[in-house]
Amino acid sequence: MSAPGKTEPTELIARARTGDTQAWGDLYREYAPAIFRFCRRAMPTREDAEDATMEIFMKLREKLVQYDPSRSFTAWLYKIAANHCWDMLRRKKARHDKDTEDIDDVALECPEPNQLEKLIEERTGEEVRKALDKLGLRARMALVMRYYSDMSYDEIADALGVRRQFVGVVLLRARHELRQALGESSALAVGGTR
Amino acid sequence: MSEPERNKEKRLDEKCMDEMTLLLYVERQLDRETAQGVSLHTQTCTRCLNLLRLLDRESRLLTRSMLEEDEALPARIAEFHERVKRNMQWIWGVVFGLAVLGVYALYTTYIEPWQNQLQQAGFGGSNLLSLVVFQGAFWKGWQSMITLFEALAVMIMAGFGIFAFRRYLRRGSAMAVLFASLGALLMVTTPAASATEFRKGDSITIPKGQVIKGDIFITGEHVRIEGEIDGDAYVFAQQLDMSGHISGDLIGFVQSERVSGTIDGNIRTASNNLTITGSVERNVLAWNQTFELDSSGKIGRSLTAGGQTLTVDGKVGRDFLAFSETTTISGLIGGSFKGHGKSLSIASGAQIDGKTEFEGQQVPEVSSEAKLASAPAFTKTERHAETRGSGYYVWRVIWTGAFLLFGLVLAGLMPKFAMETVESAGNLGASFGLGVLVFFGVLIGSIIACITVVGMLVGLSSVMLWLVMLFAAEVVVGGIVGQWIMGHASEFWPFFLRVVVGVVAVRIVTTIPFIGFWAGLAVAVWGMGAISLALYRRLQPTMAPNIPSVPMSPMNSPLPPQTTVGGI
Repeated sequence: MSAPGKTEPTELIARARTGDTQAWGDLYREYAPAIFRFCRRAMPTREDAEDATMEIFMKLREKLVQYDPSRSFTAWLYKIAANHCWDMLRRKKARHDKDTEDIDDVALECPEPNQLEKLIEERTGEEVRKALDKLGLRARMALVMRYYSDMSYDEIADALGVRRQFVGVVLLRARHELRQALGESSALAVGGTR
Repeated sequence: MSEPERNKEKRLDEKCMDEMTLLLYVERQLDRETAQGVSLHTQTCTRCLNLLRLLDRESRLLTRSMLEEDEALPARIAEFHERVKRNMQWIWGVVFGLAVLGVYALYTTYIEPWQNQLQQAGFGGSNLLSLVVFQGAFWKGWQSMITLFEALAVMIMAGFGIFAFRRYLRRGSAMAVLFASLGALLMVTTPAASATEFRKGDSITIPKGQVIKGDIFITGEHVRIEGEIDGDAYVFAQQLDMSGHISGDLIGFVQSERVSGTIDGNIRTASNNLTITGSVERNVLAWNQTFELDSSGKIGRSLTAGGQTLTVDGKVGRDFLAFSETTTISGLIGGSFKGHGKSLSIASGAQIDGKTEFEGQQVPEVSSEAKLASAPAFTKTERHAETRGSGYYVWRVIWTGAFLLFGLVLAGLMPKFAMETVESAGNLGASFGLGVLVFFGVLIGSIIACITVVGMLVGLSSVMLWLVMLFAAEVVVGGIVGQWIMGHASEFWPFFLRVVVGVVAVRIVTTIPFIGFWAGLAVAVWGMGAISLALYRRLQPTMAPNIPSVPMSPMNSPLPPQTTVGGI
């Protein structure tokens, strides 16, 4: 995927929009790794991420003519990806008993700065990624949308189907869940004082 | 810490910002005024400043962790290709060929022998399907029973079908199936017939002298028909006494049924006991525990009866086809007799003008005074002794292929649902529990729906759905057994390979004598439960986002770029 600030391949996109299969193939190769990584972070299994990646690009191919070239293609693609992944996750959530959304009813306490600092310093990227697996679906999705694809609060609200004012709450709760998952037995997520 | 220091810290704590506000500040989501307040506060509050920095570092840790390229793009998605569409194209030819084979197997194994027997029993050269469905009384009944409620039921079912398959509507095959189903439903739901009367009550009597013009539906505990019905009569009752005249057919679902009057058409009935002392001009098709054609009773054409005890003292104009434990004939059979059961007794007063064939456990007792056109042909059936020639195993293989074909079509149309269903089968307790409920409950419910006038179409549709589930059950159980043998797979073709292995294993087990039947029953219950469980899970409503309990700060506009962040 084009890194932040990198110029988007506008010509390639334009050609792909006209039905140029070569251009479409190049566009896929350009963006597929990043979208797969996005899905990998958002979806519970590798197989789900692979399926989601293919389905997102199938959807993209259908919707490509609707793309407004005056807007960021990357942001638009991430929006499609986020909507698709969240749709899949919601269906899974409806089917499985594993649902952690009831954590919303639990009040959050401010973390102890020293413990939070220790946690941030000691944890590796791999540990964070593993901890993501233990999060609730919405929490995980919110974190991925915000910190992987840099989506705005409005976009996150739109994708998750919540009011914009709740996005901060969702993210904060997601961080608490993540800290708890990372800290395991430590009292970081709940043991702080104000 | 001294008391003044503690008081100072306490005062500072009281003014501290909550984590939510600090996070929104870091994320630049606060309005200018609130952001300035935070900025000023963090210039004097070390604790909040630290927390602010930590939240920012945490954000960076999250971004860094997520952006790290820890996995290469999997080979199977390295190039874009429309997998399902392309891979499935060639399979339709195979599917069609196997489907034809499956239909042929079904026809030659089950339908054709029955058709032949029914034809021999006096149903003439009529096609079985058209006889039973399109020309028979049931079809007329359906026509009469189409009401607004049934039309609504069809619309609801169509809506449900579209909703359930909306994800697959882009696929041509799903569209074809959907439209074919709707077409079939439209064929059934032809315009309603008029002049139909409905009567309901504990005790219903059509008195002598009363004439009902047109068809009549009667539901009641005790039903007496002494008058005349110029049409068909549909009776759902505990007890029926028909001593009047029906110019059409009598269709009955009755516990105890006695016909002493005259019926110009047919009797088609399922009841506990049926006694005919009157006259039926055409055919009788009866499934009863006890059936008796009294010496004064007369059937103009054929008699087809199934049950525990059949007694024919009266006169049957044409053939008699019997499926009964005990059959006794002492009357006149104008055509041939063909019976299946335990025993047959042909008494002295009996006369059979056609061939007499009996397949059973005991040699038929034939009185020397009975008048038979030919000597009875007897075929002994050995109980529990199944003769399994090579043909049996050939058909088992063909049926296994048909099951696999069925599984392939289902999995091709609904790959995700197929995998979910197999996954549900892994939950043994829930699958079996739900399976028992569905296996018996849906069937009983469908029958109840059928015998209540409004629910006939819904009931028949439920039976169809039940049958589809019954056939799919073996494929589902095959899927989970295959996964137990070969391990889990989430891609289509590896998944289907496991289904193949599993179905073959299940078919082998269900082929074993004696055990096979019970294994088959267990598989049916288990598989139906798994399908129901998967459907149940899929239809669960999605939870709505909850109202947060954390106090919120207003977030009208993002923090302007020139806003200073205290200490950062």
